[in-house]
Amino acid sequence: MKKIFIADDDPDILEILSLMLRMAGYQTQTSSNANDILKLADNLPDLILLDIWMSGTDGRDICRQLKENELTRNIPVVFLSANSRINEISKEYNARDFIAKPFEMDFLLKKVRTILSEATV
Amino acid sequence: MRGMYIEKTYGELVTQIEQLKLLLSEAQETIEAIRRGEVDAFIVKNNNVPEVYTLKSSDQTYRIFIEKMTEGAVTISREGIILYCNTSFANMLDLPLTKVLGQSFENFIPDGYKDAVSRLIAIAWAEECKAEIILPGKNKNPIPVLLSLNTMEIAGGLAMSIIITDLSSQKNAQEELKQKNAQLEQAQLITKKMNDELEQTVRERTNELYKSREHFKFLADNIPAIVWTASPDGEMDYFNKRWYDFTGKDYVQVHKEFRLFIHPDETDAYQNLWNKAISTGTPFELVHRLKDGNLEYRWHFSQALPFRNDDNDIVAWFGISTDIDEQKRALEKKDEFISIASHELKTPVTSIKGYVQLLRYNFQQEGNSHAADLLTKADVQINKLTSLIGDLLDVSKIENGQLLYHEEKFDFNELVKEIIEETERVTKHPIKCELAATCTISGDRNKIGQVITNFIDNAGKYSPTGAVINIKTVNRKTSISLYVQDYGLGIPKDQQAKIFERFFRVNSEKENTYAGLGLGLYISAEIIKRHKGSIGVESEQGKGSIFNFELPII
Repeated sequence: MKKIFIADDDPDILEILSLMLRMAGYQTQTSSNANDILKLADNLPDLILLDIWMSGTDGRDICRQLKENELTRNIPVVFLSANSRINEISKEYNARDFIAKPFEMDFLLKKVRTILSEATV
Repeated sequence: MRGMYIEKTYGELVTQIEQLKLLLSEAQETIEAIRRGEVDAFIVKNNNVPEVYTLKSSDQTYRIFIEKMTEGAVTISREGIILYCNTSFANMLDLPLTKVLGQSFENFIPDGYKDAVSRLIAIAWAEECKAEIILPGKNKNPIPVLLSLNTMEIAGGLAMSIIITDLSSQKNAQEELKQKNAQLEQAQLITKKMNDELEQTVRERTNELYKSREHFKFLADNIPAIVWTASPDGEMDYFNKRWYDFTGKDYVQVHKEFRLFIHPDETDAYQNLWNKAISTGTPFELVHRLKDGNLEYRWHFSQALPFRNDDNDIVAWFGISTDIDEQKRALEKKDEFISIASHELKTPVTSIKGYVQLLRYNFQQEGNSHAADLLTKADVQINKLTSLIGDLLDVSKIENGQLLYHEEKFDFNELVKEIIEETERVTKHPIKCELAATCTISGDRNKIGQVITNFIDNAGKYSPTGAVINIKTVNRKTSISLYVQDYGLGIPKDQQAKIFERFFRVNSEKENTYAGLGLGLYISAEIIKRHKGSIGVESEQGKGSIFNFELPII
């Protein structure tokens, strides 16, 4: 079962994403503190959904650190944000893709499915 | 007679013979003297009137000379009798020579001058002298003359020569000269007056000019902006005081060096736009930063307009650079606020939308389609809310030129189909679609999609429920056009041009029944403009509208 790590400072969003992804058959791990993901030494996720603006942390910094780390470099990161510049930010920080808030559930699941299937191949 | 001879004594006869011998001898001497050229003339008393007989051969040269000279020449005796005069003198008096010769000179002197002339002649016997008098000339016209008196030796003793110079022409010339002088003086006076007036005018004008220059200087130096001028070739030739205050440099250091104070990020844009303005004669406009005396950059809005002469040639450029730093920073703050506000608004909307979708999914799973439908409706409204938030943010960015475009190449028909598919899920209008051969477009796919969505949304919004919406594309090889036609309200002719303006909403009695901020078409127009395309509308009130845009094909 593919594991997805979700980092967002809004607990509602964490709940919603978690529910949606679990319904679609994924295993999820949520954190309101994105730094947690940097502490994961083993049991690494297959995909990371990362909010950009979080209280205390900046999703962009986390993404950069993930890309700098040998262990986490290849984990696809998908930015989640209501920021209208999300497209450019994703490119700039080498994120695999982005999902603009608010999002359509179908769109989210389709995107996750595509990325994970690409990763498997 | 015979008796007379007889009556003479011998002694008498001898005496008579002696006398005759003497006379003969004298005559011989005279003849001899004449022969030798020692005698020029004789004065012979004839009927008690002395007559001068001159000897032609000896004095011909002088005679001709005297006769030909324009001055009158007169010789008088001690008694004042005219012994000789030339023709000129007779002509002056308008009398024949015969009426002049042998007359007393005094006879020709008018009464008023007689005494003076007598005295003059009296003096002249002792020393030569001159005087001006008036002689009666032709028709008794007075002639001004100059008398030059000289004594001369002649055979009979001392005579006086008088040369009479007609001063009429000289007097006339003098008179003329006097008149000319008077005229000259008059002209000089007029000239002086004119000069004075001119000087006064020049003084006044100079004063006015000075005032006007001072006024301009006062204005230019106190206007709260940097003011400059440039020659037609674009070289800056004047800056007001503010420029030197702003840069903290003096004239020598910063004259003509405007470009060097522009932020490096905007130098190229400045050079290109300025060159373009100079070559095309069109106004120049640029928002850029300028370095101040503390080496800090402040945002400025620079504008320049060409000034043309009557022949429409540019003679100068007038420029102004206004410090907009505070406004720019305020705008940045506003942008930041809008950005945060938009983020903060979207966050709860994201949660609501998420929960609604989850609920709908659950109801669908449970087979409760009624509840699922209700939640679909809620979702449509959430999307509208999201789109309104997005519009507000977009407008704010367009205003500041900060709406970012993510350029990519994409298939146009694919995008149109995608949008129609999305729209069909929520619209109550059947969509009829007629797509031409597809093409590849270069641009921001999402934003062009936003324009298509906006067209379809509008078509639906202003159409009666159930009315069809036609979508058609036309491929013109170098460009592609998209038409969205509705059979709705239509737009009055006078409002059609304004429909792409910000905050514009079609004015109708039912105005309030149509939702929207009036931003959609404005944003659409801006997006199309940025893609070097064109946007338009054809509409007839009561019959419907056709909105279209045309984009270049790469």
